[in-house]
Amino acid sequence: MAKEAGGVTRIRKGHDLKIGGRPEKIVEQANFTGLAVVTPADFKGITPKLSVREGDSVLAGTPLFFSKRHPGMQFCAPVSGCVESITYGERRSLAAIRIAPDHKDDFRPFPVYSADTLGNLSPDEIGENLLRSGLWPVIRQRPFSTVADPERRPKALFIPAMPTAPFAPDIQFQLEGRGGDFQAGVRLLKTLCCAAVHLVVEEKNTGEIFTAARDARLHRFSGPHPAGNVGIHIHHIAPIRHRNDIVWYVLPQDVARIGKLFLTGRLPVSKIIALGGEAVSRRCYLKIRQGMTLQDALEGASLSEPCRIISGDVLTGSCRSVGEGIGFYDEVVSVIPEKKGRDFMGWLSPGLRKYSVTNLFLSRFTGNEGSRLDTAMNGSTRVMVPFGNIESVLPMDLVPTWLIKMIIARDIDEMEKLGIYECDPEDFALCSFVDASKMEIAEIIRDGLEYIEKNG
Amino acid sequence: MRGIRSLLDRIEPNFTGDGKFSRLWPLYEMVDTLLYTPARTTVVAPHVRDAVDMKRSMVTVIIALLPAVFFGLFNTGYQLHPEAGIGGNMLTGLQAFLPMLLVSYAAGGFWEMLFAVVRRHDINESFLVTGLLLCLTLPPSVPLWIVALGVSFGVVIGKEVTGGTGYNIFNPALVARAFIFFAYPSEMSGTPVWSLADEMTRATPLAAAASVPGSNGMQLVYDAGYSLQQLFWGLIPGSFGETSKAAILIGALLLLLTRIASWRIMAGGLFGMAGTALLANVMAPFFQNPMFYLSPLDHLLMGSFAFGLVFMATDPVSAAQTDRGRWIYGFLIGMLCVMIRLINQAFAEGVMLGILLANAFSPMIDYMVLRQNIARRKRAYAKQK
Repeated sequence: MAKEAGGVTRIRKGHDLKIGGRPEKIVEQANFTGLAVVTPADFKGITPKLSVREGDSVLAGTPLFFSKRHPGMQFCAPVSGCVESITYGERRSLAAIRIAPDHKDDFRPFPVYSADTLGNLSPDEIGENLLRSGLWPVIRQRPFSTVADPERRPKALFIPAMPTAPFAPDIQFQLEGRGGDFQAGVRLLKTLCCAAVHLVVEEKNTGEIFTAARDARLHRFSGPHPAGNVGIHIHHIAPIRHRNDIVWYVLPQDVARIGKLFLTGRLPVSKIIALGGEAVSRRCYLKIRQGMTLQDALEGASLSEPCRIISGDVLTGSCRSVGEGIGFYDEVVSVIPEKKGRDFMGWLSPGLRKYSVTNLFLSRFTGNEGSRLDTAMNGSTRVMVPFGNIESVLPMDLVPTWLIKMIIARDIDEMEKLGIYECDPEDFALCSFVDASKMEIAEIIRDGLEYIEKNG
Repeated sequence: MRGIRSLLDRIEPNFTGDGKFSRLWPLYEMVDTLLYTPARTTVVAPHVRDAVDMKRSMVTVIIALLPAVFFGLFNTGYQLHPEAGIGGNMLTGLQAFLPMLLVSYAAGGFWEMLFAVVRRHDINESFLVTGLLLCLTLPPSVPLWIVALGVSFGVVIGKEVTGGTGYNIFNPALVARAFIFFAYPSEMSGTPVWSLADEMTRATPLAAAASVPGSNGMQLVYDAGYSLQQLFWGLIPGSFGETSKAAILIGALLLLLTRIASWRIMAGGLFGMAGTALLANVMAPFFQNPMFYLSPLDHLLMGSFAFGLVFMATDPVSAAQTDRGRWIYGFLIGMLCVMIRLINQAFAEGVMLGILLANAFSPMIDYMVLRQNIARRKRAYAKQK
């Protein structure tokens, strides 16, 4: 049984976005018809070095590129086939590698272990296998949310199993029938990191896969988004003290994939993600293959134009065209309506149909029922006027207004004291959402983290 | 409607990029977004945004001020000719108030736009609030040139020299009022100025309360012909906006329900005021000062304390900006207001100075709260393991 760590951490600040088009709990198979795309920019903190050329044939699991800093860390092809094109972006940075699949599904073999022998593996063996297989990057670290550094060990590892973001998949549903893989993954990670493994679930979760998980400490959180964000869990359980105070985190599905890699000896390339949003006709769970394009994932669904396709949830995802791949870490694809037209004197309207967390519109009385969210900014950018909106959705004991000011002022010393290492743009997404000045607060945090990473 | 939209779209290129009038972009932006919600869509995550914006927030403050405005209009007429009826009194009030408001908006708006164009920042909607607030704190008989001068000082010195809206240390409307108060004392103090009538019939309650040393201040107020009910409903001489506590209460409720104003500041202010007043009550027998006898309720209902606390102290920029800091800041305002009322015989009214002083202290209060937060975080770090 998992060791329960005391009571429930109740998060009060935050907001659950009421947005139309929730995915239904049906898993559909997305068929792989087009190219597979690997986007190196998905992996933060990595300078990619190519190890294939256009025209090379690859197996699923063949390395495509590796990290310049850690040549052992490889990033592998999700399908077998032929490297069709390698494209570059600004300043010759690697933009995308496209592979034309041969549909033979040949896998590069990795060592196979039985569930009983997993416990005998040493941390080095586990790390080595993960690095070689291309599955290591599912482990990320804070501060900075980069791919975990294989030469260092964290003080704790987090598995956030209660996503609260809009359209985020129900983890228990996602992991149905994969309990063995998940348990094997937890065990391997525990051995690998030699530190506490914190598994965070929703207050009322009784799923056996979690409550019976060995080698992990079970924590319970409740409350509105961002209560499910790993940054909030870290803040409440093992706050990050300084730059070298490292915490790792892995999504539950990826934990199961790690387990599967060791149990089957094949790179597990399929994932279950959620597809939602008002502008897409099919809203369900999709079984996709890593590296699949959005085109394939949206096959058979009709989109109501104009719409925006987002890889990730509406709060933190990135806007992509159908030809691009689904983000490596993204477990949601959202399709939302683009804004059309401009309202006359919108600021004077009673606002029965305006979505707001604040009490400034009549929609407050209907709980935002009649309102619809699209991509409108709903206002012009102004200087910061601290009405307290930002603080009302950030369940962390830090002073966001000041932190933002210090980031803009580029004062590294104060940023550190105010807790920038605990921050991640995804935890501040709701702050950007509610800000009356329409400042890009999450981007400012990202900017501050990048600055301090380079110059700190 | 479509005509205006297409006209705006047609002239927009002149104001962007290399357009002829690109310097005047803030002006175009102001008109454009005043008429139509902005066309911008999100570029980075989050891809959806709340409907709240600065315009909505500031308009809410103005709506909250409206009860006080309408009552002020009526009361101004009422103080002149109590028998003129509601319509007649409103008209008289309008004749006195509207020119002031227009001058205030014109002069304040001019500076605001000038600085926006020269310093290339956007025109912030908060100047609509500043202009209105200043007029509400002035006596009805103040000359228009003083209003223009005052609002210019408030906008330029109180706000723009420190970087414009969001960077101001003091509440610009209060800076303007303080400027008028100290530069033109004869227009702003003494009994005659609080009414349009040439011959003033009664002293304001605060002046009455301080008038006879050695007696009970509240008795003096009653003797001058005021009752607590009158003070609450507000049919008494005073500045436009401050007299009716009922109207201010409606505004306060709206500001609190919409969370535009911080309840912490208001609550802190009430506590600070009540605490200091009660302390003074205890000490009253030992002093000659009649003001020491005023109870917290008297302080709340007299003068501009309620108006200041609800509309001036809660300006989010010049107030403390941390939750704990807002409590301290509010408390300080309540305390300072009463202390100035009691001890400083030169000014009967301490609210303006109390708030300005607390404005000056608010960065320090925030600094203290921040250090506490940092220390607390350090302790939390030490606790794990």
